Amino acid sequence: MTKVFLVDLSHCNGCYNCQIVCKDEHCGQDWQPYAAAQPDTGQFWMRLDEKERGQVPWVRVAHTPIFCSHCADPACAAACSSNAFERRDDGLIVLSPQKCTGCRDCLDACPLGVIYFNEQLNIAQKCTGCAHLLDNGWEVPRCVDACAHEVIRYAEESEFGDLLRDAETLPAMDGCGARVYYRNLPRRFMAGSVVDLKADELLIGAEVKARASDGTELTLMTDDLGDFKFDQIAPDMYQLTISAKGFQEHTLTADLRDIDRSLGDIALTSI
Amino acid sequence: MKIKDKTVIQNLSSNGFGNGTNLANVDVMDGKIVRIRPLHYSEFYTEESLNAWSFDVRGHRFDPKLKSLLPPLSLAYKKRASSPNRVPYPLKRVDWDPDGKRNPQNRGISNYVRISWDEATSIIASEVDRVIQTYGGRAILVQGEGHGETKVISGGHGCQSMMLDCIGPEPGNYTVQARQPDSWEGWYWGAKHVWGCEFHGQQNPQDNVILDAAQNSDAVLFWGADPETTPWGWGGLQPSRLCFWFTDIGLKQIHIAPDVNYTNAVHADRWIPILPNTDAAFQLAIAYVWMTEDLYDKEYVATHVEGFDWFEYYVLGHEDGIPKTPEWAAEKCGVPSYRIKAFARYWGKHAITIAHCNGGGYIRSCFSHEPARLEVCLLGMQGLGKPGVNQFKFIEWVLRDINPVPRSSIYPMFADIFHGWKMSAPRYFFPKTLTPEAITNPPVSWSGHVVCSMPKEDQFLTFVYPGDGPRVHMIWSDTPCWETCWNGGNAYQDAVRDSSIEFYLVQHPWMENDTLLADIILPISTVFETMDVCTDIYNGQFTMVAIEEQAIEPVVESLDDYQAVGEVAKKLEVLGGPYTGLFERYTGGRTPEEDVKYGYERCGAPLDEYPFELFQEQKFICFPTEKDWEEKPVGLQLFYEHPEDFPLNTPTGKLEFYATGLAANYPGDKIRGPVPKWIEEGDGHQERISSERAKKYPYLLMSNHPRWRVHAQHDDIPWTREIRTCKVRGADGYLYEPIWVHPQDAAQLGLVDGDIAELFNERGRVLGGVLVTERIMPGVLYQDHGARTDILEYGVGGLDRGGANNLICPTAPTSKNAPGEVTNGFLVGIKKVDLDELAQKYPEAFARPYCPETGLSAAGRIVEEV
Repeated sequence: MTKVFLVDLSHCNGCYNCQIVCKDEHCGQDWQPYAAAQPDTGQFWMRLDEKERGQVPWVRVAHTPIFCSHCADPACAAACSSNAFERRDDGLIVLSPQKCTGCRDCLDACPLGVIYFNEQLNIAQKCTGCAHLLDNGWEVPRCVDACAHEVIRYAEESEFGDLLRDAETLPAMDGCGARVYYRNLPRRFMAGSVVDLKADELLIGAEVKARASDGTELTLMTDDLGDFKFDQIAPDMYQLTISAKGFQEHTLTADLRDIDRSLGDIALTSI
Repeated sequence: MKIKDKTVIQNLSSNGFGNGTNLANVDVMDGKIVRIRPLHYSEFYTEESLNAWSFDVRGHRFDPKLKSLLPPLSLAYKKRASSPNRVPYPLKRVDWDPDGKRNPQNRGISNYVRISWDEATSIIASEVDRVIQTYGGRAILVQGEGHGETKVISGGHGCQSMMLDCIGPEPGNYTVQARQPDSWEGWYWGAKHVWGCEFHGQQNPQDNVILDAAQNSDAVLFWGADPETTPWGWGGLQPSRLCFWFTDIGLKQIHIAPDVNYTNAVHADRWIPILPNTDAAFQLAIAYVWMTEDLYDKEYVATHVEGFDWFEYYVLGHEDGIPKTPEWAAEKCGVPSYRIKAFARYWGKHAITIAHCNGGGYIRSCFSHEPARLEVCLLGMQGLGKPGVNQFKFIEWVLRDINPVPRSSIYPMFADIFHGWKMSAPRYFFPKTLTPEAITNPPVSWSGHVVCSMPKEDQFLTFVYPGDGPRVHMIWSDTPCWETCWNGGNAYQDAVRDSSIEFYLVQHPWMENDTLLADIILPISTVFETMDVCTDIYNGQFTMVAIEEQAIEPVVESLDDYQAVGEVAKKLEVLGGPYTGLFERYTGGRTPEEDVKYGYERCGAPLDEYPFELFQEQKFICFPTEKDWEEKPVGLQLFYEHPEDFPLNTPTGKLEFYATGLAANYPGDKIRGPVPKWIEEGDGHQERISSERAKKYPYLLMSNHPRWRVHAQHDDIPWTREIRTCKVRGADGYLYEPIWVHPQDAAQLGLVDGDIAELFNERGRVLGGVLVTERIMPGVLYQDHGARTDILEYGVGGLDRGGANNLICPTAPTSKNAPGEVTNGFLVGIKKVDLDELAQKYPEAFARPYCPETGLSAAGRIVEEV
């Protein structure tokens, strides 16, 4: 039976345990025939991507573990002329250090850029799913074992049940049959506060409407601290209309196509 | 295929003081460590056998987990054992001649030659004897405290004090550098005087407070707390799991701080940016709103608070003519007045629990006793102790029985075989914050024994150094990180290069920080290279004990601390007289192997149920959760319900908004007076953005406990150094300590990502790599503390390439009568530097052997015999 990875970003704290234990296992340690030793720095068979989102005072950091998707239809293997990529019965794809000729074709072929080149050994290298451990009694790879939050899991698809239903693969992997699934990939947020500067008061219960480019509307009321936050919404241009009793309606545009936005303290004028 | 030869258990914590945590399975193959991985308690136990606790709130279960929740610093720790920065063998400074010129002025500058253990210990014994004979034992300064690897038998910090205790008729005849509660300063010097809570000054008791907050609070306030960082050396990732659970159950998490720390970045529902160390203004304005809008628990205040009228008199402006309004506070703290009002009203109408690690920036800044006291006052105004209104911490769980997570049935301690300093009141001492002043400019006087185990009344005692004894002429340190962890490292450098210091001995595994100031350096083994035992009581899951078998042979010519001091004892014995039988007295006549049994049988585990043979065979014992743990009263519930029957440990038994102890003992103190206040400047501090000094040094520097280190530890791990927030690569290939700069400030200053800049004030300059980020508010710069020094110019006014900003911290203590440290929220300027120019000016320093992956190498300081 083949297994898959499921990564739930809602509980990733960005501790880098996954990235570090991968190095602990592979840097300077040869596990032939599965993998040759990884250089001490510079390669990230398990790479935690870190992205700062928003602006003061609405700032978050998103972390996403990025590693080989062990694809059903791997672009790397297709690009390899020496048959160095081998699919195992459990679904993991191992890049044979013996067969690799160092042509580098697979490096460009991988949409995620998770194949690395070892100059010293003249071979390409990547995540093995810790196959050498799985073949010697381990149930899961190092990254799964070291995660305190069960963000990264490794099991047969059927074991994940409903969890896979709203999971997705990384957009870059479309068409490759990626076998690493993600839940709660970050989308966009916008947040701000509504204030009556004249009275020097935040407005609680003001209505904030956000209209997306396709006309759909989201509505929130400002909370006890005068704040509103639209979270996990689509990248888009939004028209915001802010209204509160006794105040002139205020409109503004928020461009969330590329980044998340703090809209700051938005002042309403009393009628 | 062979994937390991053996597995040993090790505690890979960084706290020291004999209390381990972060238990790991360490796999060894062919004499090398191949992997470090979580220890699965489930290999030995089931949830039933451990009576495993759980929290069930609003449909979400939180369970403790049956594996160790290791932080990355533990998982990467094998790199520290093999670091090219290990002290390879005993070393002697080339121009330090105990029989001739000692050249103290060259400490830090001159190189070292290899000597043998035999020669090193002979010199040390001879110097110890000479100093004792010439000046008396008190001329030896013991630096034997501080955080580090956690060892018990093999030597926690302070083995030298154990040995010196065995010389002469009475123990304690040496001078101790008494270590302040450096992460608790404001609590210790301030909060204790309001609520009488010993030991650190944060709330005590904290029993079941986390569960209570989950059930009864509307929000948890993180006042600078970073549970995703600070507890890493103290128990790993359980605090992180709790924060996720808070989100799962809909418990709001509000962060108040100048920076988006690593917890805020992931868990916060709301961030209120505030200028460093201006929290007192914010707090006073909250009190003002509550007083003027009737938003506090008057009934509670009437029965539980002493001196509320004094506080009210000050807050409303009757004392100084300045009402502490939100508008007044906004100008000082940078939070708009409308937000202060809204927040105050929110707090006034909701149950809020405050969470800390150790207290964020304001607890380590000047006058830190004021915001700490004010926080307790605010909790008091909302009925401290009632459901949903308490304070708890995410770190040091169970230290002195202060513990917000479910209790264990057994709390094992290896106190009887702990080879280190016991943190009791020293006979002769000066505070660590005053070390430079004590060495160069005695006499000095101060209040209190300052060590963290002292009760608040101890703060009313006055001490003088050197008194009727000799000045210090020798330093024996196993804690060589004063420069990068304390208050004004440049002044420390000047002090230890003073001619009065005739001999400076350091024993340490790594050639880092103060080690480079020593005359003799002894190489010490890491935890992997020695046998030991450990407890783990901090993890927030279960308590446990383990035998830590030796994982690998020493990588260098090292001994452990206990052995190293033992070797000196043997050499002293040869001199006879007071040293006769010294080694026997030092060891208690037991070998380390015998210590294992001796210590286990006294650790508190019932031997009928957990015999030594089980410990020996299993190497690991985990103890079950206490039965009916949830029955224990929550936090300060008893005081809340029956203040007369369960008074606080204050002179009046109440929350002392007017601290009667301070009033009686320090009647003239305007900085730490009886009522907590906003202090603009004084007692040697002018660190406000509105001050005169700010014209030259216009930014406030925020400096938390570091993310990728525990204080000074771990700065040579290649796998963390390549993480963006750990180091910034300069154009010269050197990895600099990041300085966070807000995009707005960066634009004004002409700084971009990757630039190398210096932070400066009149105390000196430190370099850093610019990281332009929204994670810091405008007007504030951020740099972690504890970076490894790489000194280009020594002394006050000096220059450091490593980014050790403690070098330029204020040297004055918290306030006149509170000798705590000030290492956060101080003024600096910033400007871009020209690396080529610096390289030309400091050619020797720039040519030192350096590897970006690990930093400076020990080899760069070692020369062949001259």
